[in-house]
Amino acid sequence: MRNAFSDALVAAAVADPNVLLLTGDHGYALFDAFRKARPGQYINCGVAEQNMVGVAAGLAKGGFRPIVYGLAAFVPIRVLEQIKIDVCSEQLGVVLIGDGAGFVYGHLGSSHQSTEDIAATRSIPGLAVLSPADRFEMTATMQLALSLGTPVYMRVGKSDRGDVHAAPVALRAGQMLCVRPGKGSVAILATGSMVRTAIDVAPAAADAEVWSVPSIKPFDGEQLAAIAHHADALVTMEEHSTMGGLGACVAEQLAALRPRPLLRVGVEDRFSQFCGSWDYLLHEHALDTTSVRQRVERFVARNREIAATV
Amino acid sequence: MGRFAGREIRKAILDMAFSGATVHIGCAFSIVEVVAVLYRNHLRIDPEHPRAPDRDYLVLSKGHGVMAQYACLREHGVLSEAAIAAYFRDGSLLKGLADAHIPGVDATCGSLGHGLSVATGLALAAKRHGTEQKVYAIVGDGELDEGAVWEAMLFASQFQLDNLIVVVDKNGFQAMGSTDEVLALGDIEGKFRAFGCDAVTVDGHDEQALDDAYTRMKQAANGRAKAIVAVTVKGKGVSFMEHNNVWHYTRLTAETHAAAVRELEYPA
Repeated sequence: MRNAFSDALVAAAVADPNVLLLTGDHGYALFDAFRKARPGQYINCGVAEQNMVGVAAGLAKGGFRPIVYGLAAFVPIRVLEQIKIDVCSEQLGVVLIGDGAGFVYGHLGSSHQSTEDIAATRSIPGLAVLSPADRFEMTATMQLALSLGTPVYMRVGKSDRGDVHAAPVALRAGQMLCVRPGKGSVAILATGSMVRTAIDVAPAAADAEVWSVPSIKPFDGEQLAAIAHHADALVTMEEHSTMGGLGACVAEQLAALRPRPLLRVGVEDRFSQFCGSWDYLLHEHALDTTSVRQRVERFVARNREIAATV
Repeated sequence: MGRFAGREIRKAILDMAFSGATVHIGCAFSIVEVVAVLYRNHLRIDPEHPRAPDRDYLVLSKGHGVMAQYACLREHGVLSEAAIAAYFRDGSLLKGLADAHIPGVDATCGSLGHGLSVATGLALAAKRHGTEQKVYAIVGDGELDEGAVWEAMLFASQFQLDNLIVVVDKNGFQAMGSTDEVLALGDIEGKFRAFGCDAVTVDGHDEQALDDAYTRMKQAANGRAKAIVAVTVKGKGVSFMEHNNVWHYTRLTAETHAAAVRELEYPA
């Protein structure tokens, strides 16, 4: 997935000399290929993220196409106001990359973890929010982000969970991608690192079908309505707070379109307590595969009981 | 009356503030000469095409002074009389702080510490395009409390943005008091020098001094960003507003409006 990311950056810069990569002094090895291929289009802005986003806005107004890279804890969270005012109020074509989202920097503690970035960005008018799950979605979301010409936040989380697609995918804004067909009574909608988990637990969840959601905003409500038409119950999974993220987005849409029982699997309004690896922290937050499988099994069983009594 | 005459601009500000029942009069009065000299002699913009990509840029980072810019844009013909007359009305174009959706306004500012970074990006864009465009950014002295201002100056020096001309409106006040009382700034010119800029301090109401400073700073293609510290008087031009910070917030009455206009017409 990181190679796909690097390849997409290089391809964008080679295709268009106005593409500039701005970093807040992060991405050491990640940008080796970029700096080799297009050193003049690489700008290290230093540890000064607020200025970096303002500079990106100025560059965009001056005809360039900036890609702003930071850790998700800083871009977008530290610079949310710059994103809102400098970039989004004028709908400038700036692509903001938040890397290491979720618990990727688990050992470093809460300063470097990011489980609120989707919620924060999703409410900014005109800001698209993309969240790829594997290398194929990385390529597709980067292409989409660069084609929009409007502000995009791209959330990049745990990158070594393997492929969820068998081949390259085409992606339109808002589209959900089926990564596992099921029996149809339960649908799991997951994003980023949790798509892999969703596929792993689906057999235990009434043989659920699994959809990857690489485009959280825009979001295709009609496609969700079609899924909810055949699914009796839905589950969302994200390495992000249950508030304001994918689960909240789906809940909002379902409430308006077609109410269904919904289990939102995510971070439950708490910071990580201990130091630890990504695997450890997922366990601490009950987001590891075993914990998620148990929660989904209970959810499916309870819905069956309720269905049997009415 | 000459083009961009200070007295006319102040009268326009008073009328806008009175008809719109708005505040920030003192903030606008202190930068009248700073913007007037810019529009008169330095800022290259085509009033017919205020968004032409080859224009000079003016980023009013202290967006609170925007009425002074509106008055100049009216004189330029960029903003209509009708737009000025409707200032602050429901559904009207002109907002109480600088907004890039308004023709002639190059960045959305008012949340302080944003504009200078955007200006820095515009200056870098001009450098990379190889143009002679200048980017002027007006920041308040109170705004210098914002850390992002200094991030921008580090960046401007690192990337040798000698086409960036920062004007500090040193009126000595911020919202809640004097800058010395709130967060003392010390030697502002020295601070900009320490950040790698060419810097000069001038009387911000002396049009000739401002004109000379702009001319010198524009011409110095030496790889260094530029800072002009304009020492100004908050509320300049109306005796009961000068150095009186209540005119950051106070709205005009018919009486104070008339008294202020009288002073402009018959200065002591």
